[in-house]
Amino acid sequence: MDADMDVPMHDAVSEQLTPTITEDVTSNNGDVSNGSGDYQDIDFKPGSSGIADNKSSTPLQLTPNNINDLDKWIEQLGRCEMLSEDDVARLCRMAVDVVQFEENVKPINVPVTICGDVHGQFHDLMELFKIGGPCPDTNYLFMGDYVDRGYYSVETVSYLVAMKIRYQHRITILRGNHESRQITQVYGFYDECLRKYGSANVWKMFTDLFDYFPITALVDNKIFCLHGGLSPMIETIDQVRELNRVQEVPHEGPMCDLLWSDPDDRGGWGISPRGAGFTFGQDISEQFNHTNNLTLVARAHQLVMEGYAWSHQQNVVTIFSAPNYCYRCGNQAAIMEVDENNNRQFLQYDPSVRPGEPTVTRKTPDYFL
Amino acid sequence: MAGNLRREILLKHFDKIEQIVDNIDYTTSTNGKDITSGEGNDIITDLPSIKNASSRRQSSTANTVDPNLEKWSTYFEVNKQITFEERNFKFNIYYTLPKSLDTTSIPIFVFHHGAGSSGLSFANLSQTLQEKLKGQCGCFSFDSRGHGNTTVIDPEQNVSYERDSFIEDFRTLLEYIYSNILSAIPKEKLSIILVGHSLGGSICTFTFPVFSIELRKHITGITMLDIVEEAAKDALNKVDNFLSMTPNVFLSYSDAINWYVRHGLSKNRTSANIAVPSLFRKFSSGKVVRITNLQVFRPYWNTWFTDLSHSFVAVPTSKMLILAGNDNLDKELIIGQMQGKYQLVVFQDSGHFIQEDETLKTALTLIDFWKRNDNKNVIIKTNWGSAK
Repeated sequence: MDADMDVPMHDAVSEQLTPTITEDVTSNNGDVSNGSGDYQDIDFKPGSSGIADNKSSTPLQLTPNNINDLDKWIEQLGRCEMLSEDDVARLCRMAVDVVQFEENVKPINVPVTICGDVHGQFHDLMELFKIGGPCPDTNYLFMGDYVDRGYYSVETVSYLVAMKIRYQHRITILRGNHESRQITQVYGFYDECLRKYGSANVWKMFTDLFDYFPITALVDNKIFCLHGGLSPMIETIDQVRELNRVQEVPHEGPMCDLLWSDPDDRGGWGISPRGAGFTFGQDISEQFNHTNNLTLVARAHQLVMEGYAWSHQQNVVTIFSAPNYCYRCGNQAAIMEVDENNNRQFLQYDPSVRPGEPTVTRKTPDYFL
Repeated sequence: MAGNLRREILLKHFDKIEQIVDNIDYTTSTNGKDITSGEGNDIITDLPSIKNASSRRQSSTANTVDPNLEKWSTYFEVNKQITFEERNFKFNIYYTLPKSLDTTSIPIFVFHHGAGSSGLSFANLSQTLQEKLKGQCGCFSFDSRGHGNTTVIDPEQNVSYERDSFIEDFRTLLEYIYSNILSAIPKEKLSIILVGHSLGGSICTFTFPVFSIELRKHITGITMLDIVEEAAKDALNKVDNFLSMTPNVFLSYSDAINWYVRHGLSKNRTSANIAVPSLFRKFSSGKVVRITNLQVFRPYWNTWFTDLSHSFVAVPTSKMLILAGNDNLDKELIIGQMQGKYQLVVFQDSGHFIQEDETLKTALTLIDFWKRNDNKNVIIKTNWGSAK
């Protein structure tokens, strides 16, 4: 075993990571170093794809040429056909010059349709646009987790990013905890890129792009939207604005919490069973909404069988937009429409019917138990 | 004269052993399939041929202790047998107690190995935990019924290997450890972490609800190593193939170790050196014979994993699942994970025996798990109320 294993646990990727916990000074404290942001393999270093090397100092202005390319790509991706590696590189460069100028708390006007996890279920994403209405006629806010687990992470994230560039003011894509180098190496996106493109280049480009995604949005100053949940280090929305978000999702701290936390029936803050982020009770949600003059926290991150679920007496809503998650969980999906008058309506949907539904095949273990 | 006599007795003894060996090794000789001709099954050619080994008869000695063998005492402080008449078993346990009681919380890691393995599967992990926590932790491992040096008291009594039997053994043993061996540790400092590999993971999960309320108060969490109900049931359906390829006899301990390493069943030789020999008993010929007859378990397989995924997600304590290779969760585990009910960790480079293959990473992950979930250790820092 390598002697330097103590340091980064980078290939021991986990849905764990260490939260903002302070240890009792008298407690055990072995020389355990938690996974740091270090990358053993130089190729996996943030920024190595070069897509952000020549960032513009002003937001991308679409030219007829750009629009032509984007429309072509969107049409191609709409048929679930992936782009060439060169086109992905161009796509990601353009996207950096769009999303880098968005705020940590992206202001959004009503009406808008708010969506949760998609997880590479491309055909179900197309179903979502059928149910919710085509973009740009309908405004969309996606709350992260576009990749991993489903079989079309590449097509899904390429499509959403292309739409984002083409209709900058009509669609917002936030970052989820799966928009991360570490997590995608375990849950499928990395392997899918390798399988479909023959190298990790496309994965590097997208994960470099993810670092620039905004992390929260504020709909009409009333609904705070984010992937995970609240943080014991974030009491006000202004504190989110102060974060430096352009980085790999950290293992702990406020940015980690925003992407990892879950609401819970227990009051106050709790240790998250996930191994990252926290659980927060109704008292916390009420206080946060009151302090920030909000009506609702909308978030994704948790599978809910009906596609959406209220918690904390309607202070928090969970929205999950991947029907029959992993092609086997049997759950409905949902999106939430918020109209001009801030009325909310949930639209539920089932998995899209399509020929050649992927069957889940699993390698049988070759060991005794 | 006396020398001749001794020699004759030895030879007779050997013949008897050979018969036993032939009986035990039936998967390769009596199940009617000529496995050596199986396509691509070059693994089978590694089977030691007992017939050809007869020339070694002369040189074999009755020495049953291999001086080069790793010793349990390198890894644990204590090895002893604990007799539970009511269980009809004398359990072989290994443990190391914490070096001092100065800390506010003392983690006690209690390991349960999987089917066909032994308590020493956790030897290397225990030693690593001791190192990383500078001796401020306890580690307990044992051979479950039918394994290692755990023995039946009255062989006339019927011995069952259904899950409930393993559960009751584990409950009895841990209650005993808690009341007797851990009695010197102030109760409020105890932070017990149950760690089960494979079948052992199932046993840990199902034993938790039957522990006394008193003991349960001191259990911080459960970690299962590489076990998913659906995959386990699949594996059992195809286990004959595995059994037919797995020799029950080797010419020596080092042959056995080499075989395990070569076939990827053990990726870490340091772990294999201590874990693999414990699966075999050495005979006077020098040959080593597998202690556990895996076929004996066959009638009980269907009890081992039933409802495991649902029960793991539901068990009311902190939970972690460490998987080897990729995340092959079944439906219940996916839903549980996507609802944030437990912590999932994947060691992509590990084989099935995670504690042996990725010892250091497992140790660090267990320590993190303990620190995170032990309420004696954790104060959640918040800046709420300090704004404005």
